[in-house]
Amino acid sequence: MEAATLTTRRSVRHRIFSTGLFSTDHRVIARQYFFLSLFAVVVGVCLSLLMRFHLVWPQAKVSWFEKIWSVRAESGIMTEELYLSLMTLHGTIMVFFVLTLAPLNAFANLVLPEQLGQREMAFPRLNMLSFWVTMASFLTLIASCVLDEGGPIAGWTAYPPLSAVGSVSGPGEGLGQTFWFFSIGVFCIGSLLSAMNIISTVIECRRPGMSLMQMPLTCWNWFVTAILSVLSFPVLLAAGLLILLDRLAGTSFFVPGDLLIAERNVDHSGGSPLLWQHLFWFFGHPEVYIAILPGMGIVSHIISNFSRRPPFSYRASVWAPIAIAFLGMLVWGHHMFISGISPYSALTFSLVTMSIGAPSAALTLNWLGTAFQSPRLELNTAMLFCLGFVSLFVTGGLTGLFLGQPEIDAYFHDTAFVVAHFHMIMGMAALFAVFAATFYWFPLMFGRMLGEELGKLHFYLTFVGAYALFLPMHFAGFAGNPRRYADFTNFDFLKPVMPLQRWITMTAFALGAVQLIFIWNLFWSMLRGAPAPSNPWSGATLEWNPEGELPGGEPYFYPVKMDVTT
Amino acid sequence: MATLTEPKVRSGGGPPPPITPLLPRGGDGSGGSGPDPSASAATARIAVYIGMCASTMTFMALLSAMFVRRGLATNNDWHRLPVPPLLWWNTVALLLSSVAVDIGRRAFRAGRRSEFRMLWLTGTALGTWFLIGQSINWKFLADHGFYMQHNPASAFFYVLTWAHAAHVIGALAALYYVACRALFFPFVPMNRNVLEVSAIFWHFLDVMWLLLMAIFEFWS
Repeated sequence: MEAATLTTRRSVRHRIFSTGLFSTDHRVIARQYFFLSLFAVVVGVCLSLLMRFHLVWPQAKVSWFEKIWSVRAESGIMTEELYLSLMTLHGTIMVFFVLTLAPLNAFANLVLPEQLGQREMAFPRLNMLSFWVTMASFLTLIASCVLDEGGPIAGWTAYPPLSAVGSVSGPGEGLGQTFWFFSIGVFCIGSLLSAMNIISTVIECRRPGMSLMQMPLTCWNWFVTAILSVLSFPVLLAAGLLILLDRLAGTSFFVPGDLLIAERNVDHSGGSPLLWQHLFWFFGHPEVYIAILPGMGIVSHIISNFSRRPPFSYRASVWAPIAIAFLGMLVWGHHMFISGISPYSALTFSLVTMSIGAPSAALTLNWLGTAFQSPRLELNTAMLFCLGFVSLFVTGGLTGLFLGQPEIDAYFHDTAFVVAHFHMIMGMAALFAVFAATFYWFPLMFGRMLGEELGKLHFYLTFVGAYALFLPMHFAGFAGNPRRYADFTNFDFLKPVMPLQRWITMTAFALGAVQLIFIWNLFWSMLRGAPAPSNPWSGATLEWNPEGELPGGEPYFYPVKMDVTT
Repeated sequence: MATLTEPKVRSGGGPPPPITPLLPRGGDGSGGSGPDPSASAATARIAVYIGMCASTMTFMALLSAMFVRRGLATNNDWHRLPVPPLLWWNTVALLLSSVAVDIGRRAFRAGRRSEFRMLWLTGTALGTWFLIGQSINWKFLADHGFYMQHNPASAFFYVLTWAHAAHVIGALAALYYVACRALFFPFVPMNRNVLEVSAIFWHFLDVMWLLLMAIFEFWS
């Protein structure tokens, strides 16, 4: 009896630490990242809907607002501070815990080792540790908004001086903002550990005979993204350390002298808020590519698969993301055109920013070339999301050309145009890649197929919804509609824009509701979906063909020569 | 030309089948290598090089912030910090530690275990001394009125030396681990990897410290 109990205990311990929560299996860790991102995106979308509601009906009384936020929504009306706190959390959650985690950490963990012909990442325990460090960061962020004085309100960019002087600058700038900085610091560490693992796996753990130029394009993009992470996250970590010292130890790295806040003279001297902007955007712009480059790799891979042919130009598809990443490290100044930088610097940053269009166009032509030259295009859900990605990437990229020019950016910079631009390219496009990856690799994640009919319905509604939501937002930007404002109903010059804002809000709610189709499809398919074949998409890479050989004995290295007889 | 086969439907759901054993690994010069001891050492070295890149970026961000902040010191709030004399002795200790660790590593490779143990322990002890010496320096500066709040030069001194000390603590943990294994446990290949990568990282911290010292002495 005692022996049986002992065995059961050991079995439970084994389940928890070997295959459960603290598993070192890369697929388990991939699922953990996936569900963390899924939870984060649900929270992030709900926050954005609340924000949209407030922008259109700022004086609306909602009884449950008061129950949740007794201080910041007294009498059921959302205060400006609450709006800013929702905006901060929305931005932080979406940028860090959705767009960074899902395309890179979740899907790289899922298939990177096997696409390279391995069974595990280079450092499985480090892999598990990086997930739990990331989870600690997420919990810290959530903790920041349940504090009595309210969540942080400085936005995801946390610009000083207001974010660096503590509670003197307002509610939410106290402990909540300190928690926010801690959360981001911990996230940086988790991302660095993860990037270290991905790079080591790609360099050292490829199957014998597989050269770098035989890796799937997904592996290339994850590899380049991980290098970007190693180069950019430490800068955010250093900047976060300095701003925490400004807040907690009274230093003056980012806080200028003679600063008067709420009629109080702040006891700092000589610091520069611009210094934070340089450090932050040195991380922040590569972060945009950390979010989108894995998506590009996923799209290249899936389009090639369902076009039943190798990529139009494999080499161009490898070198373009490398060029984008390299140039992306040099353009942080274009976020600071109106912050007071030298016009010569602005011109340089502008030229380099524009030059990113060249490799981006090369990639787009590759995707289109691959699809157009397909002998038999398969328009299933994953492929549709990839084509949707291409569309959104081009649309969002074109508006980037406006913002990359200092003269035009001077007008657009603080308007809804910028919000529309980055939601189109960094938000929707990257999410389309995540949807595509989810449909494509769902059989590997759960052994079942994700429902195609509901998937296609979800795609069409989301695609239309994305344009219906974010295209009009550009026009609001043309009209000078400011961003980051909690309420602009009182501005006369914005009165003509209000019908547009109401349309955007209603579309946002509709688009949010459409995502329920995906959530339903996901969980239903996990539990009741059709059993997955071993290679449902006739995939040509090693995660589908672990034996590593085609029937004729030819090794399955990528880019594989595909026959179209199937 | 290869032909893709029709998908085979498995009988039920659940996780995908386990991956069949792969080809023998070890590298053929054109591709990756596998988990044999030498390949693991290479993987560990790659990881430590990546860690060094990340640390370098952290220090470069802090140093560039320092350069910019000094350039902005328009209201004469930048006051040169006297370099505490003990800092030089600390530097010597760290350099000697690095030399001892490296000669110890070579002795280990040559199979001279007792020499290795002595040198590795010496290196570890000198590294520990460096850390203790740093805390004495911080106290020295605080006793002489140099706090973080009052002068950006001293703020950057504290930040940079703390960041370096945090790295030293991590590296010392690895040095102590190897030292304990060397003294109390038989060696296995895994420990050789720890030995190699901790020595590499220790040298990196040495170089980083020399850079910081040069900046403290000649520029700040």
